[in-house]
Amino acid sequence: MADTALVTMTIAELAPKIKAKAISPVELTEAVLAQVARLQPVLNSFITVLHDQARRQAREQEAALMRGEYRGSLHGIPIGIKDNIATAGIRTTVGSKVFTDYVPEEDAYVVSRCKEAGAIMIGKENLEEFAAGSTSNNLHYGAVHNPWNVDYIPGGSSGGGGANVAACVTFASLGTDLGGSVRGPANFCGVVGLKQTYGRVSQRGLMVTSFNGDHIGPITRSVQDSALMLQAIAGYDPLDPSTVPVPVPDFSALLGQELRGVKMGIPSNYYFDIIDPEVETAVRQAIAALEALGVEAREVALPTMQYAGALRIAGMADSVVTHEPYLQTHRHDYGPTVLYRTLAGQFVLGRDYAKALQVQRLIKEDYARVLQDVDFLVTPAAPVAAWRIDTETVLLDGQAYPVRGPGAGITARCTSPSNATGLPAMSIPCGFTHAGLPIGLQLIGRPFEEARLFQVAHGYESVSPSRQRRPPLVTV
Amino acid sequence: MSIPNETLQAMIRSYHGFALTDDELELMRPELDNYLKEVEKLRALNLANVMSGRLLRAQEGEAL
Repeated sequence: MADTALVTMTIAELAPKIKAKAISPVELTEAVLAQVARLQPVLNSFITVLHDQARRQAREQEAALMRGEYRGSLHGIPIGIKDNIATAGIRTTVGSKVFTDYVPEEDAYVVSRCKEAGAIMIGKENLEEFAAGSTSNNLHYGAVHNPWNVDYIPGGSSGGGGANVAACVTFASLGTDLGGSVRGPANFCGVVGLKQTYGRVSQRGLMVTSFNGDHIGPITRSVQDSALMLQAIAGYDPLDPSTVPVPVPDFSALLGQELRGVKMGIPSNYYFDIIDPEVETAVRQAIAALEALGVEAREVALPTMQYAGALRIAGMADSVVTHEPYLQTHRHDYGPTVLYRTLAGQFVLGRDYAKALQVQRLIKEDYARVLQDVDFLVTPAAPVAAWRIDTETVLLDGQAYPVRGPGAGITARCTSPSNATGLPAMSIPCGFTHAGLPIGLQLIGRPFEEARLFQVAHGYESVSPSRQRRPPLVTV
Repeated sequence: MSIPNETLQAMIRSYHGFALTDDELELMRPELDNYLKEVEKLRALNLANVMSGRLLRAQEGEAL
């Protein structure tokens, strides 16, 4: 099989062929490493490529197959790991100069789970410095480029993962999402990003993370692959108190089931208040497509979202506390966008932090209320599509919004509420702008009901205008 | 509400051990202004009766 045919397959397509020994993990890994060699100079999507380790893992997985030890859907599948997720014996920079030589002694829990499932680690993926932003324009390791147009950002902070999965460099990536850092790059790169329910997946080994609302989640090329990745990493971790001891269901169980009678809530406020017209058109068309599939639509109101900006107050305070040990000793190793944004958290008063947590509580209740009447909510994944790498502000309805550093936040406007509520949310492609850049739809579900989200997303995926579309550079 | 530069600089020096120039404070200012704007919005919101609690009412302790 030609290399291009191999690298453009999905995990769900590859898995049975690997199980049947029709495709070898060694052959697959070599095809992926050839894709890395061709596209890393273009995309700058890795900070560290693990050539030798990937080849060694591939040989081990192939040997296991030959012994009849098939480990499941990820067996022999090359994946990328965002470089703020700890990997034993492999440097983990967090996209920062502060950690440029840091080599963890232990794997993050999710990395261990992927290794046990037979996945092959291709490399550590580039990201925004300290995962604190949405551009992946990294001062220390260079900008990541969007495969659909390399003059544009891939989104962030898991930009390397989004770019790699879209460009068929890897089959999946493990990213992290504190305000939309998995769903954002998935959206801007035209692939699938999942932030599952808070507590579903262990955060142990996620470095320089926030006290409130961080997640590790997968970026994939299909909804089915997203379910397979979540299956591998979900579960209670006794060493991570954020995880919840609930059973892990079969996340693929509802895939392919018809959507007739499923109830969809369309927020009448907040999510569509500030939005690029092209994005709104694509999202409204996706909503119509869901209705055509039998989903019942109704408008829902989330009145407390008028105070959603307060959620950022808690994030500011959490951030400065997270960075405090490094700021004191490595201030000059910080890039200006992260440094000045982080330092502002110093001035958040305790009173305001407490208020922000109470607002967070009210917002959670609002979502819980509407999700008693509908099975999921549908929103844009972001108010805008990707912008040029050298852009400092985006213009929406005549107003300029900063997109980097202090004051930035427009990109995460639609995604960050789900970090505060803890609800599962995923971004799936729903079309393109006239400039040819992807547009994403966001689905938000009830706690621990990821399988329902996969059912809906899978149903929509089959009619999405983005289906079967790949960036031209995948095969050129 | 505005906070004088001297106050901000003294807090950074005290908590983090380094000085920030006026120009550096200006770079930080948009984030601070956003914070103050959001605080202002909360002034009229009565939060006195907000109950603490958990959203995720998953049944815990079942067999994994």
